[in-house]
Amino acid sequence: MLRAALRGVIVNKLRLVLTALAIVIGVAFVAASFIFTDTINARFETLITDISAGVDVYVRPIPPETGNDLVEFGSIPDEILAQVKAVPGVRVAEGAVAGYAQFVGADGDPVGGLGPPTLGFSWTTTSDLNPMTIAPDNGRAPTGPGEVVSDLGTAETAGFGLGDTVTILTLGPPEQFEVVGLANFGSEDNLAGATTAAFELEEARRLFDLEGSYVEISVAAEEGVDAETLAADIDAATGGEFDVKTTEAANADQLSEIGEALGFLNTALLAFAAVAVFVGAFIIANTFRIIVAQRTRELALLRAIGATGGQVTRLVVIEALVVAVIASVIGVFGGIALALLLAALMNAIGFNLPEGPLTIAPRTVVIAMTVGIVVTVVAALLPARKAAKIPPVAAMHEELARTGRKPLRRRAAAGAVVTTGGVGLLLFGLFGSVANPLLLVGIGALVTFLGISILAPLAARPVASTIGWPLPLLFNITGLLAKENTARQPRRTASTASALMIGVALVVFVAIFAASIKSTINESIFDNFRADLNASSTNFQIGISPTFAEQLAELDEFDTVSSLVFDTASLEEGGTDIIVVDPLLAEEVVNLDPSPGAFAALESADGVVVSSTEMEDNGWVVGDTIVMGFPKEPETQMEILGTFGNADFGQYILNRDFYNTVYDNPFDSLVLATVAPGVDISEARVAADAIAEPYANVQIQNKDELVAEIEGQIDALLQLIFALLFLAIVIAILGITNTLALSIIERTREIGLLRAVGMTRRQTRRMVRWEGVIIALFGAVMGTGIGLFLGWAVVLALADEGLGSFAIPWGQIAVLVVASGVAGVVASIYPARKASRMNVLDAIAYE
Amino acid sequence: MLEDTAANGAAASMRNGVKIYGEGTAIVRALDGVSADFARGRFTAIMGPSGSGKSTLLHTLAGLDNLTEGTVHIGDTELGSLKDRELTILRREKVGFIFQAFNLIPTLNAEENITLPLSIAGKDPDEAWFNEVVSAVGLEDRLDHRPAELSGGEQQRVAAARALVTRPDIVFADEPSGNLDSKAEAELLAFMRRAVDDFSQTIVMVTHDPIAASYADRIVFLDDGDIVDEMVDPTVDSILEKMKHLGE
Repeated sequence: MLRAALRGVIVNKLRLVLTALAIVIGVAFVAASFIFTDTINARFETLITDISAGVDVYVRPIPPETGNDLVEFGSIPDEILAQVKAVPGVRVAEGAVAGYAQFVGADGDPVGGLGPPTLGFSWTTTSDLNPMTIAPDNGRAPTGPGEVVSDLGTAETAGFGLGDTVTILTLGPPEQFEVVGLANFGSEDNLAGATTAAFELEEARRLFDLEGSYVEISVAAEEGVDAETLAADIDAATGGEFDVKTTEAANADQLSEIGEALGFLNTALLAFAAVAVFVGAFIIANTFRIIVAQRTRELALLRAIGATGGQVTRLVVIEALVVAVIASVIGVFGGIALALLLAALMNAIGFNLPEGPLTIAPRTVVIAMTVGIVVTVVAALLPARKAAKIPPVAAMHEELARTGRKPLRRRAAAGAVVTTGGVGLLLFGLFGSVANPLLLVGIGALVTFLGISILAPLAARPVASTIGWPLPLLFNITGLLAKENTARQPRRTASTASALMIGVALVVFVAIFAASIKSTINESIFDNFRADLNASSTNFQIGISPTFAEQLAELDEFDTVSSLVFDTASLEEGGTDIIVVDPLLAEEVVNLDPSPGAFAALESADGVVVSSTEMEDNGWVVGDTIVMGFPKEPETQMEILGTFGNADFGQYILNRDFYNTVYDNPFDSLVLATVAPGVDISEARVAADAIAEPYANVQIQNKDELVAEIEGQIDALLQLIFALLFLAIVIAILGITNTLALSIIERTREIGLLRAVGMTRRQTRRMVRWEGVIIALFGAVMGTGIGLFLGWAVVLALADEGLGSFAIPWGQIAVLVVASGVAGVVASIYPARKASRMNVLDAIAYE
Repeated sequence: MLEDTAANGAAASMRNGVKIYGEGTAIVRALDGVSADFARGRFTAIMGPSGSGKSTLLHTLAGLDNLTEGTVHIGDTELGSLKDRELTILRREKVGFIFQAFNLIPTLNAEENITLPLSIAGKDPDEAWFNEVVSAVGLEDRLDHRPAELSGGEQQRVAAARALVTRPDIVFADEPSGNLDSKAEAELLAFMRRAVDDFSQTIVMVTHDPIAASYADRIVFLDDGDIVDEMVDPTVDSILEKMKHLGE
């Protein structure tokens, strides 16, 4: 039996290559996602261990539970350093400060800030404790005001060198510094894409507004002193008020943070792997179904000479297994290549990964192989079981091969049940309250796809006929034959189209989601902003220096200048977004729809204004007191002073003065300005631009520009998602190629007859081509339908989260459907060629 | 037995036709220097034992396969010089086919199958001629049926009607009644005979069945890739007699 199966693989090898490709892609994604995450973790571990090699214990402020962790360091008073140094076993200890510092390039644009952080810190004079080392022949450490040391990588990216004068953005107005040294981090010339600026301690304290305090104390132990014991001693000596950790523990924390930050990437890759594998499963099932059908006589002969039904099933399954193993092995290698590609891509967009080898863990190979093998075998199981039902007599009578179809009523019932279940799961995940809604929605979507694909054969005949109706009019007999060919094998047409359906549905869904977000943002910007101009930071993590708003307010061109800060605070049930306003001016620049008197109350008393929906959900009334957590005040009793209606930015509003007492973040998120009466907006803008110019990371926009920029960002993300979903569509196209090629082989006689009675090669190609187009359009139509539903459901479910409007990008969908048709043409190139080259005699040579 | 020129008014002719399959020791000379003419308005049967090359002769005559050496003419056209497209159009316009099985396109009904060569050429059928052919094969009531709904005899009669509907110069039939019961066979062959008598159609038919061959005006006997004998106005008995001697 094994030998027969192996021979089957060899005989069918061409047909199986395309099938295997689907598995290869899926397995490659699975493998790549693990290899990539493992590799990054391993490389960062090396880097972090390397640069902390001389440190045994770190003393840091206890990190606040909320707020922007690039700003909210907390601080360690000066005198604590002396206490630490006094602990027995401490060989040397040194304090450091850190904060925001961003270089301005020679072109006037800020360097970095679009991903990895822009770090500033004080130069550690004890070389054992310093993560940086001045590179050979690259200057010296900073020793006083106006001096800075950067890493070699940043210097190269930004285009400055030793001895140059550079502008650096910090808390206050931009300042000029001389580059006195260039340094390495361990063996790397850069810290994973971050830009770094090191200043002399007092200079750094001034720049970061941290006079008289530290944000970190590094400690090296005396020979023979255990780090754990020392950490415990230091903790006791400093009264347990700080986060004292051994280097090992601190590094582990840092690595787990990096792991978390990269988790989304892993999830995204695995999601695409799931899509690829799922689409692949359809193609595998379809290929084996056709192969079984084609080999009916051969399989029946095996049955006739005494093979049991089980043996025939096993024959097909073993064949699938062989393909699966080969494809999965190739897939794992593909995954390695993909991981390398991803690493290169990350470097290209500015996330410099540390150098090092790829980490290929045994579990990566095991998981990837298992996924490939299990999916293939499961997908082949149904056709294999059908093979067992072939009666031995079919060896003699070809007609008998086509019996044993499931009644349509049973299929309809099964499809309806599965589809309903899938839609139910999906809706429950969206609208019900469950722990992991995303997973439920994902599974619901997959089950829905499955259900629709079960139902699809019922629709194949009418839909294919409808799509194909103009063909006979346009192309006469070739069009008629193409139309009829797709309608005569509804199951094959449907399952081939189903693979494309999934890709198209996901693209349509993403397009709707993005269009809805854009439309919501558009509306919200025009509804929310009353200001004529708004200034925002191009640095994703750090806002605008507060001095900018002060300078802007001094201009006569502007009537009101007021800034907003968006931050997070903690509540009993978790984190929430907060808006920080200047209560007296906010109403003039932004529409938050406060209840009468709410902002006046916020100006005069420390309290909070809460959104109406949040009030309702919690059953609060104005005057209630709630507990909120801030970085410096973990539990604060806050009186509810009023309510507001527009919760697009957040649910809680704080007064800026109060915010400054409980947060360390001095930066503005947005600076909004209304132009004074009688002043031309463009004139005011020129004045504002002049103020903004030295800040480099500040950009001034009117509402239209703001909308355009946000839309641009969404589009960029959209393109990335489309690029990955494109893979699913490519697999689906391979599926169409595969099905058509196999159908062509099945129809050898028919095509030979057509050629014999006078069909030209060109006409034959046209016939096959239109068949491919109809199948592709069928998939696109189903996919668009499901995508519309998914988009509608998800947008509706997120209405509470502020996704207010549902927009359908008809233009994009139309392009997608047309592109699917074109894809059908592309998919049929090979089968059409094959059909047109078919030997006419094969049709006639009977036996 | 043979005339000298190809353009002698024959519907089809072959001169010194050689067809070699395979290479080296597996070489097969399916046709070994065949020369033959098939006169217009005549019904010729090609007979011979299995492997005698009769199907190869038919395929090469019909432009379905090419000769290794020698020439084939359909009317005045020499096939060897034609490109695939020209050959295809020649088959579509000048030649009709009736095969033993798989004669019809399953997705098309009887009428569409009959007019298939015209549809492929983008031509409308001649209404009167179409009706005449359809009534001659007795398929008036079955035109909207698909092949699966037709009996074997009806399917072959549809194929015969298709072969005639283009008014081809010549019709090639390859064991057309091979899969039919005797009644259906008689109906089909009677129709083919009428096509020759009433419509002056030229038919060349390969068969191994003496009864089928007895409908022909002339029989060409083939053995080992060459014509070994021929017979005019055959009867079943005379054919059987001849075959007995051929075997010796």
